[in-house]
Amino acid sequence: MPSIRNQIRELRAQRNLTQQELADQVGVTRQTVIAMEQDKYSPSLETAFRVARVLEVPLEECFQYEPRDGGRRSIKEERQRVSKP
Amino acid sequence: MPSLSYREKTLYASLVAELVVYGPYFVLHRQNTVNKVAGMILGIIVLQAVLQSVIALVTRNRVTDERDRLIELRGYRAGYLTLATLMVVGLGLLWFHATMGRLPLENRWAALHFLSVFFGMLVISDIVKTVAQIVSYRRAL
Repeated sequence: MPSIRNQIRELRAQRNLTQQELADQVGVTRQTVIAMEQDKYSPSLETAFRVARVLEVPLEECFQYEPRDGGRRSIKEERQRVSKP
Repeated sequence: MPSLSYREKTLYASLVAELVVYGPYFVLHRQNTVNKVAGMILGIIVLQAVLQSVIALVTRNRVTDERDRLIELRGYRAGYLTLATLMVVGLGLLWFHATMGRLPLENRWAALHFLSVFFGMLVISDIVKTVAQIVSYRRAL
Protein backbone atom coordinates (compact mmCIF):
# COMPACT_ATOMS: atom_id res chain seq x y z
CA MET A 1 0.00 0.00 0.00
CA PRO A 2 1.36 3.47 -0.81
CA SER A 3 1.94 5.89 2.05
CA ILE A 4 -0.17 8.55 0.33
CA ARG A 5 -3.86 8.51 1.21
CA ASN A 6 -6.54 10.51 -0.50
CA GLN A 7 -10.11 11.73 -0.15
CA ILE A 8 -10.98 11.54 -3.83
CA ARG A 9 -14.01 9.31 -3.36
CA GLU A 10 -15.59 11.56 -0.73
CA LEU A 11 -14.82 14.79 -2.58
CA ARG A 12 -16.08 13.34 -5.85
CA ALA A 13 -19.33 12.22 -4.19
CA GLN A 14 -19.84 15.71 -2.73
CA ARG A 15 -19.63 17.15 -6.24
CA ASN A 16 -21.83 14.47 -7.82
CA LEU A 17 -19.11 13.48 -10.22
CA THR A 18 -18.87 9.98 -11.62
CA GLN A 19 -15.51 8.23 -11.85
CA GLN A 20 -15.63 8.57 -15.63
CA GLU A 21 -16.38 12.31 -15.46
CA LEU A 22 -13.51 12.88 -13.06
CA ALA A 23 -11.21 10.76 -15.22
CA ASP A 24 -12.16 12.72 -18.34
CA GLN A 25 -11.55 16.06 -16.65
CA VAL A 26 -8.22 14.98 -15.17
CA GLY A 27 -7.10 13.23 -18.34
CA VAL A 28 -6.65 9.72 -16.99
CA THR A 29 -8.53 6.46 -17.41
CA ARG A 30 -11.44 5.45 -15.16
CA GLN A 31 -9.33 2.51 -13.98
CA THR A 32 -6.70 4.94 -12.70
CA VAL A 33 -9.34 6.85 -10.73
CA ILE A 34 -10.54 3.54 -9.25
CA ALA A 35 -6.97 2.58 -8.33
CA MET A 36 -6.38 5.98 -6.69
CA GLU A 37 -9.63 5.80 -4.73
CA GLN A 38 -8.66 2.37 -3.44
CA ASP A 39 -5.24 3.73 -2.37
CA LYS A 40 -3.57 1.24 -4.67
CA TYR A 41 -1.92 3.84 -6.85
CA SER A 42 -0.14 7.07 -5.93
CA PRO A 43 -0.38 9.49 -8.84
CA SER A 44 2.40 11.75 -10.04
CA LEU A 45 2.58 15.24 -8.59
CA GLU A 46 1.17 16.69 -11.80
CA THR A 47 -1.85 14.37 -11.80
CA ALA A 48 -2.39 15.00 -8.08
CA PHE A 49 -2.53 18.74 -8.74
CA ARG A 50 -4.94 18.21 -11.63
CA VAL A 51 -7.24 16.06 -9.43
CA ALA A 52 -7.21 18.70 -6.70
CA ARG A 53 -7.94 21.42 -9.22
CA VAL A 54 -10.90 19.52 -10.73
CA LEU A 55 -12.25 18.83 -7.24
CA GLU A 56 -11.64 22.51 -6.33
CA VAL A 57 -9.73 21.82 -3.14
CA PRO A 58 -6.14 22.46 -2.01
CA LEU A 59 -3.77 19.59 -2.70
CA GLU A 60 -3.32 18.73 0.98
CA GLU A 61 -7.07 18.42 1.45
CA CYS A 62 -7.20 15.84 -1.29
CA PHE A 63 -3.96 13.94 -0.60
CA GLN A 64 -2.32 13.17 2.73
CA TYR A 65 1.09 11.71 3.38
CA GLU A 66 1.14 8.96 6.00
CA PRO A 67 4.62 7.57 6.63
CA ARG A 68 4.96 3.80 6.61
CA ASP A 69 6.23 3.82 10.20
CA GLY A 70 2.86 5.20 11.28
CA GLY A 71 4.14 8.72 11.79
CA ARG A 72 5.96 7.83 14.99
CA ARG A 73 8.70 10.34 14.24
CA SER A 74 8.18 13.80 15.66
CA ILE A 75 8.36 16.82 13.36
CA LYS A 76 11.71 17.70 14.93
CA GLU A 77 13.07 14.23 14.19
CA GLU A 78 11.75 14.39 10.65
CA ARG A 79 13.40 17.79 10.10
CA GLN A 80 16.70 16.48 11.44
CA ARG A 81 16.45 13.44 9.19
CA VAL A 82 15.71 15.52 6.08
CA SER A 83 18.46 18.10 6.80
CA LYS A 84 21.18 15.46 7.12
CA PRO A 85 23.67 15.75 4.23
CA MET B 1 -15.42 -6.28 -21.19
CA PRO B 2 -16.72 -3.02 -19.69
CA SER B 3 -14.28 -2.83 -16.77
CA LEU B 4 -11.15 -3.12 -18.90
CA SER B 5 -9.29 -0.11 -20.21
CA TYR B 6 -8.17 0.12 -23.83
CA ARG B 7 -4.62 -0.88 -22.93
CA GLU B 8 -5.82 -3.93 -20.99
CA LYS B 9 -7.91 -5.12 -23.90
CA THR B 10 -4.94 -4.81 -26.24
CA LEU B 11 -2.81 -6.79 -23.78
CA TYR B 12 -5.31 -9.66 -23.61
CA ALA B 13 -5.46 -9.66 -27.41
CA SER B 14 -1.65 -9.77 -27.56
CA LEU B 15 -1.55 -12.68 -25.14
CA VAL B 16 -4.13 -14.62 -27.16
CA ALA B 17 -2.22 -13.93 -30.39
CA GLU B 18 1.07 -14.98 -28.82
CA LEU B 19 -0.36 -18.23 -27.44
CA VAL B 20 -2.19 -19.09 -30.67
CA VAL B 21 0.80 -18.45 -32.91
CA TYR B 22 3.67 -19.49 -30.65
CA GLY B 23 1.88 -22.42 -28.98
CA PRO B 24 2.54 -24.80 -31.86
CA TYR B 25 6.16 -23.63 -31.89
CA PHE B 26 6.73 -25.22 -28.51
CA VAL B 27 4.48 -28.25 -29.07
CA LEU B 28 5.99 -29.12 -32.45
CA HIS B 29 9.50 -28.03 -31.52
CA ARG B 30 11.29 -30.87 -33.33
CA GLN B 31 9.63 -30.10 -36.65
CA ASN B 32 10.73 -26.46 -36.81
CA THR B 33 12.17 -25.07 -40.00
CA VAL B 34 13.38 -21.61 -40.99
CA ASN B 35 10.23 -21.14 -43.06
CA LYS B 36 8.10 -22.07 -40.07
CA VAL B 37 9.79 -19.50 -37.86
CA ALA B 38 9.41 -16.87 -40.57
CA GLY B 39 5.76 -17.86 -41.00
CA MET B 40 5.21 -17.51 -37.28
CA ILE B 41 6.68 -14.00 -37.25
CA LEU B 42 4.45 -13.05 -40.18
CA GLY B 43 1.48 -14.72 -38.50
CA ILE B 44 1.90 -12.82 -35.24
CA ILE B 45 2.20 -9.52 -37.10
CA VAL B 46 -0.98 -10.15 -39.12
CA LEU B 47 -2.97 -11.49 -36.16
CA GLN B 48 -1.87 -8.61 -33.92
CA ALA B 49 -2.78 -6.06 -36.59
CA VAL B 50 -6.25 -7.57 -37.01
CA LEU B 51 -6.96 -7.89 -33.28
CA GLN B 52 -5.62 -4.42 -32.40
CA SER B 53 -7.66 -2.87 -35.23
CA VAL B 54 -10.85 -4.56 -34.03
CA ILE B 55 -10.23 -3.41 -30.43
CA ALA B 56 -9.49 0.14 -31.59
CA LEU B 57 -12.74 0.13 -33.58
CA VAL B 58 -14.97 -1.13 -30.76
CA THR B 59 -13.38 0.96 -27.99
CA ARG B 60 -14.60 4.54 -27.84
CA ASN B 61 -12.34 5.75 -25.04
CA ARG B 62 -8.74 5.13 -26.04
CA VAL B 63 -7.13 7.31 -23.39
CA THR B 64 -3.82 6.15 -21.96
CA ASP B 65 -2.21 7.78 -18.95
CA GLU B 66 0.81 7.72 -16.64
CA ARG B 67 -0.33 4.50 -14.95
CA ASP B 68 -0.47 2.75 -18.31
CA ARG B 69 3.06 3.92 -19.05
CA LEU B 70 4.28 2.79 -15.62
CA ILE B 71 2.74 -0.65 -16.09
CA GLU B 72 4.23 -0.86 -19.57
CA LEU B 73 7.68 -0.15 -18.12
CA ARG B 74 7.17 -2.82 -15.47
CA GLY B 75 6.28 -5.30 -18.17
CA TYR B 76 9.38 -4.43 -20.17
CA ARG B 77 11.52 -4.82 -17.05
CA ALA B 78 10.08 -8.28 -16.38
CA GLY B 79 10.57 -9.22 -20.04
CA TYR B 80 14.15 -7.94 -20.07
CA LEU B 81 15.06 -9.78 -16.87
CA THR B 82 13.60 -12.97 -18.33
CA LEU B 83 15.48 -12.54 -21.59
CA ALA B 84 18.75 -11.76 -19.80
CA THR B 85 18.35 -14.80 -17.53
CA LEU B 86 17.56 -17.11 -20.43
CA MET B 87 20.52 -15.74 -22.41
CA VAL B 88 22.90 -16.34 -19.51
CA VAL B 89 21.58 -19.87 -19.01
CA GLY B 90 21.65 -20.54 -22.76
CA LEU B 91 25.20 -19.24 -23.19
CA GLY B 92 26.27 -21.21 -20.12
CA LEU B 93 24.87 -24.42 -21.60
CA LEU B 94 26.53 -23.60 -24.91
CA TRP B 95 29.88 -23.13 -23.20
CA PHE B 96 29.38 -26.34 -21.19
CA HIS B 97 28.60 -28.45 -24.25
CA ALA B 98 31.44 -26.84 -26.22
CA THR B 99 34.00 -27.65 -23.53
CA MET B 100 32.66 -31.21 -23.30
CA GLY B 101 33.08 -31.57 -27.07
CA ARG B 102 29.41 -32.29 -27.58
CA LEU B 103 28.65 -29.41 -29.90
CA PRO B 104 28.34 -30.70 -33.48
CA LEU B 105 28.75 -27.34 -35.19
CA GLU B 106 29.47 -29.08 -38.48
CA ASN B 107 25.94 -30.42 -38.36
CA ARG B 108 23.73 -28.36 -40.68
CA TRP B 109 20.89 -28.58 -38.19
CA ALA B 110 22.91 -26.80 -35.52
CA ALA B 111 22.15 -23.37 -37.02
CA LEU B 112 18.43 -24.12 -37.06
CA HIS B 113 18.66 -25.38 -33.52
CA PHE B 114 20.31 -22.13 -32.36
CA LEU B 115 17.69 -20.14 -34.28
CA SER B 116 14.96 -22.12 -32.55
CA VAL B 117 16.43 -21.69 -29.09
CA PHE B 118 17.03 -17.94 -29.37
CA PHE B 119 13.64 -17.37 -30.99
CA GLY B 120 12.12 -19.37 -28.12
CA MET B 121 13.85 -17.07 -25.62
CA LEU B 122 12.36 -14.03 -27.33
CA VAL B 123 8.91 -15.63 -27.33
CA ILE B 124 9.07 -16.53 -23.62
CA SER B 125 10.28 -13.02 -22.73
CA ASP B 126 7.48 -11.46 -24.75
CA ILE B 127 4.85 -13.62 -23.05
CA VAL B 128 6.32 -12.81 -19.61
CA LYS B 129 6.19 -9.10 -20.49
CA THR B 130 2.53 -9.30 -21.47
CA VAL B 131 1.55 -11.42 -18.45
CA ALA B 132 3.43 -9.07 -16.08
CA GLN B 133 1.48 -6.13 -17.49
CA ILE B 134 -1.85 -7.94 -17.16
CA VAL B 135 -1.05 -8.91 -13.56
CA SER B 136 -0.11 -5.29 -12.78
CA TYR B 137 -3.45 -4.10 -14.15
CA ARG B 138 -5.38 -6.72 -12.18
CA ARG B 139 -3.55 -5.79 -8.97
CA ALA B 140 -4.38 -2.13 -9.71
CA LEU B 141 -0.65 -1.67 -10.30
